[in-house]
Amino acid sequence: MLGVIRRRPQLLWLLVPYVLYLGVLPLVNRVTPLVLGVPFLFVWLLGATLLTPVAVWLTRRADRNAPRGRRRGGRA
Amino acid sequence: MNAAVATSVFGVFMVATVALGLLALRGRGGGGGGLAEWSVGGRSLGPVFIWVLMAGEGYTSFSYLGAAGWGYNYGAPVLYVVAYMSCGYAIGYVVGPMLWSYARRHGLVGITDMVAHRFGRPWLGAVVAVLATVFLLPYIQLQITGMGVVLSTISYGTVSLNWAYFLAFAVTTGFVVVSGLRGSAWVSVLKDVLVIATLGFLALYVPLHYFDGYGAFLDRLVTEKADWLTFPGHGGGGSGGSGLGELWFISTTFLNALTVVIFPTTVAGYLGARNADALRRNAMYLPAYNVLLFVPMLLGLAALFVVPGLAGAESNLALFKLVVDSLPAWAVGVIGVAAALSSIVPMAVFMLVIGTMWGRSVLSLLPRFAERQKTAAQVVVVVAGSLALLLTYTAPNTLVRLSLISYEGMAQLLPMVLLALVWRRLTFRGAFSGLVVGVAVVCALVFSGNDPVGGVNAGLVALAANLAVALAVTFAGGRDADPRPDAEVLAHDPTDEEEKKEKEVLLPADPGPSDHRV
Repeated sequence: MLGVIRRRPQLLWLLVPYVLYLGVLPLVNRVTPLVLGVPFLFVWLLGATLLTPVAVWLTRRADRNAPRGRRRGGRA
Repeated sequence: MNAAVATSVFGVFMVATVALGLLALRGRGGGGGGLAEWSVGGRSLGPVFIWVLMAGEGYTSFSYLGAAGWGYNYGAPVLYVVAYMSCGYAIGYVVGPMLWSYARRHGLVGITDMVAHRFGRPWLGAVVAVLATVFLLPYIQLQITGMGVVLSTISYGTVSLNWAYFLAFAVTTGFVVVSGLRGSAWVSVLKDVLVIATLGFLALYVPLHYFDGYGAFLDRLVTEKADWLTFPGHGGGGSGGSGLGELWFISTTFLNALTVVIFPTTVAGYLGARNADALRRNAMYLPAYNVLLFVPMLLGLAALFVVPGLAGAESNLALFKLVVDSLPAWAVGVIGVAAALSSIVPMAVFMLVIGTMWGRSVLSLLPRFAERQKTAAQVVVVVAGSLALLLTYTAPNTLVRLSLISYEGMAQLLPMVLLALVWRRLTFRGAFSGLVVGVAVVCALVFSGNDPVGGVNAGLVALAANLAVALAVTFAGGRDADPRPDAEVLAHDPTDEEEKKEKEVLLPADPGPSDHRV
């Protein structure tokens, strides 16, 4: 498992949704401050939903840019 | 008059659905080909079709009914669906290509024959198939009843529930038996277009129609319904509350995000892909679809003001009460079609997966079906669908009770399916003992009314026990006597180089009409 992360550290981007939805939940579980009238929790979760595709895109971009020889897949 | 218009719109689209499903076979030899052509679309779907199919099968009638109902009853907790799908589809970036290449290398069509191959025991595939069928059947019933409720509502009560249930079964069976996964993907195109259009429209229309726009709507929400806007949601706190607090949200999202990547219907989508990169791109685009799931929740919250006092199962109709109340009959019909297709597409894939599991892993153990797996699978589709329909009529509560353990039960397959594919040391005895303990703990906790247990999702507690037992038994016992090399048994994320190589080696030998078996 650790070997995979060392070879493809970009896989860590895939943990971004876990941090946004779960890790910081106790901090964002609140109605205020309102953002354009929208309760804060909803703003946060909507933001997380929009950022998840970005996180996956960052992983894929790094995978595609990796030098040929280092693009071995994750044998755990 | 209204009923006639809405029902006619609905009827036309249902005919179109079956036609579209059957047309999917054009240019593919008209229903020929082996089990792999039917079950996983001949492993030939490109990134667009994979996205459409997986969006189509993942967003069930729950999006129109249950999600609005949860929004109405509790508020924020319903967003666990958005959270687990986003998290799950993100790790699908790694798991999808891994399962895809494993299945392709060994000519496999689902998780049951992956397990059978990994542990070299065909009967283990049969056991997993039976277990997974028990967990999947309730979903078929949920789709049947979901579509029944929608049709009866949008026909202004003129179509009875019993007829509506039968129609759900007939339309779905009408195409999936013949055209399999490819047909489901084609119907998904119609479904996704209608779902995006209708939910997008409703998100704009409802606040304007009832509240003079979003500003006024949100103002009222914040001042009058603040309970609904954070965890644990309305009626959540204290003893006797819903128990849907932060800990429940975190544990459920975590567990479901892992489970969704090995859920048999998700895997069917993965295996249908043409190449691994189609799945990686899909992992990028698919979470974006989740934005749509905020809409039913918002409409459920809007319904709090417009149709207060819905109790019990009635709250599931929160969204449709608004629709019927505020829109002309033809629009009601179109939204009904979108909701009905949200039942039909997932139901088709559920039935297809059950058929595939039985055709490949259970009936194939009998000599007379070994060479006719596709036919066996098609028969099982009709049998499974009929069984769900029959139970809907005669014993609806049996399946409702079963549905409580569906997702959490399926989660118990994680060590045997996923961990086993990356960790050679995991023994058959370890994985099997873990599974038995995990399923037992799920049943014990759920049926004794202890889910969530201490605020934590019971399935996660069971999975922890499952994993502990699997590891303990593995390390206590000897290694499995399996002479095959690691490369033959384990899965890995294919790189592009390997992918090209595999294509050259495997394309000519790709399972044809006579699928090779484990």
